[in-house]
Amino acid sequence: MRLHYYPGCTLKNKTTNFDLSTREAMKRLDIELVEPDGWTCCGAEYPLTEEKIVGLAAPIRVLRQVKDEGGDILVTSCSFCYAVLKRAHKAHRDDPIKRKRVNAFLHDDIKIDRWTKEKTTGFEDYDGEVRILHILEYLRDVVGREKIRSALKRDLRGLKVAPYYGCRLLRPRDEIGLDEPDNPHIFEEFLETIGCTPVDYPFKQECCGSYLSVSLPSAATEASYRVLRSAKLEGAEAIAVSCPLCFYNMDHRQELIKEKFLDFPGLPVLFFTQLLAWGLGVERSVLGLDQHAVSPASLFRESPGPEVIL
Amino acid sequence: MKNDKKEKRIGLFVCHCGVNIAGVVDVEKVAQVMKDHPGVAFSTNYVYMCSDPGQQMIIDTIKEKKLDSIIVAACSPTLHEKTFQEAAKLAGLNPYQIEIANIREQDSWVHKDKERATRKAIKIIKSHVAKARLNESLEPIKVDIKKRALVIGGGISGIQAALDIADHGYQVLLVEKNPSIGGKMIQLSETFPTLDCSQCIMTPKMVEVSRHPNIKLLTYHEVESVSGFIGNFKVKIKKKPRYVFESLCNLCGECEKVCPQIAPDEFNMGLSFRKAIYMPFPQAIPGTYTLDAEHCLGLKPVRCGKCKDVCDKKAIDYDMKEEFFEEMVGSIVIATGYDLYSLQALGEYGSEKYDDVINGLEFERILSASGPTGGEVRRPSDGKVPKNVVFVQCCGSRDTEKHNPYCSKICCMYTAKHAMLYKHRVPDGHATVFYIDVRTGGKAFDEFYQRTVEEDKVLYVRGKVSKIYKEGDKLIVWGVDTLTGKKVEVEADMVVLAMAMVKAEGVDDLLKKLKVSTDIHGFLAEAHPKLRPVESLNAGFYLAGCAQGPKDIPEAVAQASAAAAKVGDLFAQKELTHSPEIVPVNTDLCSGCGICITMCPYDARSLDKERGVVQVNEVLCEGCGACAAACPSGAAQQRNQTDEQIFAMLTAMLGG
Repeated sequence: MRLHYYPGCTLKNKTTNFDLSTREAMKRLDIELVEPDGWTCCGAEYPLTEEKIVGLAAPIRVLRQVKDEGGDILVTSCSFCYAVLKRAHKAHRDDPIKRKRVNAFLHDDIKIDRWTKEKTTGFEDYDGEVRILHILEYLRDVVGREKIRSALKRDLRGLKVAPYYGCRLLRPRDEIGLDEPDNPHIFEEFLETIGCTPVDYPFKQECCGSYLSVSLPSAATEASYRVLRSAKLEGAEAIAVSCPLCFYNMDHRQELIKEKFLDFPGLPVLFFTQLLAWGLGVERSVLGLDQHAVSPASLFRESPGPEVIL
Repeated sequence: MKNDKKEKRIGLFVCHCGVNIAGVVDVEKVAQVMKDHPGVAFSTNYVYMCSDPGQQMIIDTIKEKKLDSIIVAACSPTLHEKTFQEAAKLAGLNPYQIEIANIREQDSWVHKDKERATRKAIKIIKSHVAKARLNESLEPIKVDIKKRALVIGGGISGIQAALDIADHGYQVLLVEKNPSIGGKMIQLSETFPTLDCSQCIMTPKMVEVSRHPNIKLLTYHEVESVSGFIGNFKVKIKKKPRYVFESLCNLCGECEKVCPQIAPDEFNMGLSFRKAIYMPFPQAIPGTYTLDAEHCLGLKPVRCGKCKDVCDKKAIDYDMKEEFFEEMVGSIVIATGYDLYSLQALGEYGSEKYDDVINGLEFERILSASGPTGGEVRRPSDGKVPKNVVFVQCCGSRDTEKHNPYCSKICCMYTAKHAMLYKHRVPDGHATVFYIDVRTGGKAFDEFYQRTVEEDKVLYVRGKVSKIYKEGDKLIVWGVDTLTGKKVEVEADMVVLAMAMVKAEGVDDLLKKLKVSTDIHGFLAEAHPKLRPVESLNAGFYLAGCAQGPKDIPEAVAQASAAAAKVGDLFAQKELTHSPEIVPVNTDLCSGCGICITMCPYDARSLDKERGVVQVNEVLCEGCGACAAACPSGAAQQRNQTDEQIFAMLTAMLGG
């Protein structure tokens, strides 16, 4: 089965392991991820700051492309892209005037035929036809727990993983609507499905520091430290994330954190798709473990005994 | 109707309603034009028809001009139809010969063009003339009143209502679903602002209920269904099996000692355990043990049967079954109380996970001398005395986005009381209250709050709490102090959440059976928010206590007494009258198809199987006309609203 997939910029650069593990894991579930032709940056939050028409053009252009290619679902594994696409889609769909203006703005786009390379201007307007799903949401609602369980090849039982939601997977509540922002479960359910033991800790929805990592690194490190410390206190062996920025703040910034908080022992940070891919039997080399500042290598060892299928 | 050969003499009275009508409709012209209309024997206009001189004019004219019918062209019939019917009665005219032509709401208030509005007024009046010519004189339907009341709910409101009605000299059935009466109030420790012991002031009333000759107390019973109408409700009541004969049980307590099964104690809000055979609390009324089948080993002597073996009085019977019986009552007081908003709804406060994050009612039990800790303040998780307690107000109240938009009214006061009582019991402890506003509208309430702050040194922080989590042994409360604009973090040993008051659990099912209306939050709707605050819109139902909305004890008691007084008003009448403008069945035309039965929202119509025609319960029929519209053969005709009249009105309206 082919499914439209939006990787986003960071997954193509800094965190190719997130992209690759997503693709490989989905392949094991008989789903081939295809990128919309000529996709661009989602806008990384900026189109939503004041919801100006021009800003919405980038994400809507991507969604229109999916529609043009006959897709009705677009999945993404990056929480940030997910939030931007979903919110832009909603802002566009629910406001007829905005929709008209964005569509007018995009009207003269040149359409290049994939095969003949012929140039036309024949795009149809985008009127909100595409559903935007996070991979976690797609796994829960479309693939389903049973199918994932039956496809598992490795035993992850006993591995204590702290799910980290951050901000964009859950908020703003009315626009994202993926789960209850104050008491979410989707990440825990996912970890349970693949056999891990989810660790409950109070900081799973607290801020990682986000873009303060650029402008005020000390504030970001402190924010990330609080999350890491809380997960560690509750006995986590790793934190699972779904956002490259969370990953950067919590993984790459651990050097700075350790300088400031001398007693912090360190905690590996993983993309949830790495755990999924590993559980589904993907080779270790595909996981890109060398891209981590805090090595999670010890967590990904082939179990010595016979493979246990849950 | 048809045989009414003699042409009626109709009188027309056009009202100016000040400038409300006369400003847009040329009332003089209307009266003038209608003077010569066929059937109209008299026509005039006057500035206020509803005024005393206006009514006198109607009375005098009816007598003088020997009118058979009158039309008042004025405001909506919902306002003054009754006024003019009474006036007609005084003049010796049947009140159902009165027609109201609405030329205000349906004409002058919605139009500007004087000429066209005047034309419309004339058309409206002409249609009513056409109808009035065919109106019949009707007599109100008389109904007996069963002078016996049903009170649903045995909390303080239900108890007060039952006692007052019984004191008026009428019989009362008091139905309570739990094993004992007492409701929420019996669970409270001390009550604000006087710090009376709640049990001490409540138990005398409970005893009075059990001893009152006019009260039949039905605990562990539920209302199964209600049919009928004001004055004559037929109530089906379910008796739940208690498995213990109340009359035989002598409270020796031997059964409880041998019972091997435990269950969370509802009276202590699950903070302690009780046996499967239990007495909810020592002062329970009726004083009897109750066997909780859900937690019992199986009601089979083979499996356990220990309690039965030790019961000298042979009071235990495992074979008891649910029983149903019917009672007739004339009115129903609904006093079903409230519940607290679920702790689970506030995920960010972690009460699902942390034993020491509790709601206000749980803290009442901890403070209560009869509670699980004997009145010592100890926290649920490990029994330690908490040295730092945080109280959070407005948990789920006054939150338009996520929870309930309304104020739960009592939380400011009970939180002040909680903090004060905590400081009395743990003088070296610290109490912090997070609040939005402190609302102390009530007699001696603000003085009480001032005492909490000034004498008992409770720290009030103005702001909301965003998150509560546990780190090690401590609960960390994140909040904001909006007076300084700073984020605050407080370590606490225990947190008490003032949860919003919401409709009682499961009350929706009951209210559906009673067919009474509620507001958008599920609280009972009063007939008028200011002028009829204790009556339901549905005749014969009265409201008392928190089932109608959050309120404190004195208000609940006041409302219960008011509801009882209203029941007394009703029972003081000899008989009730019901509007005769109903929809009877012309049995010659009725084919017994039963379409009207399915249309009727009041269950007034049923099939007479023997005769193959529909029969109507005249008292249940509200004259809505749904059946008349649906009847394919014209057998269902509403009195004074027959098809013939409707067509006559249409013809007149369309200028025919």
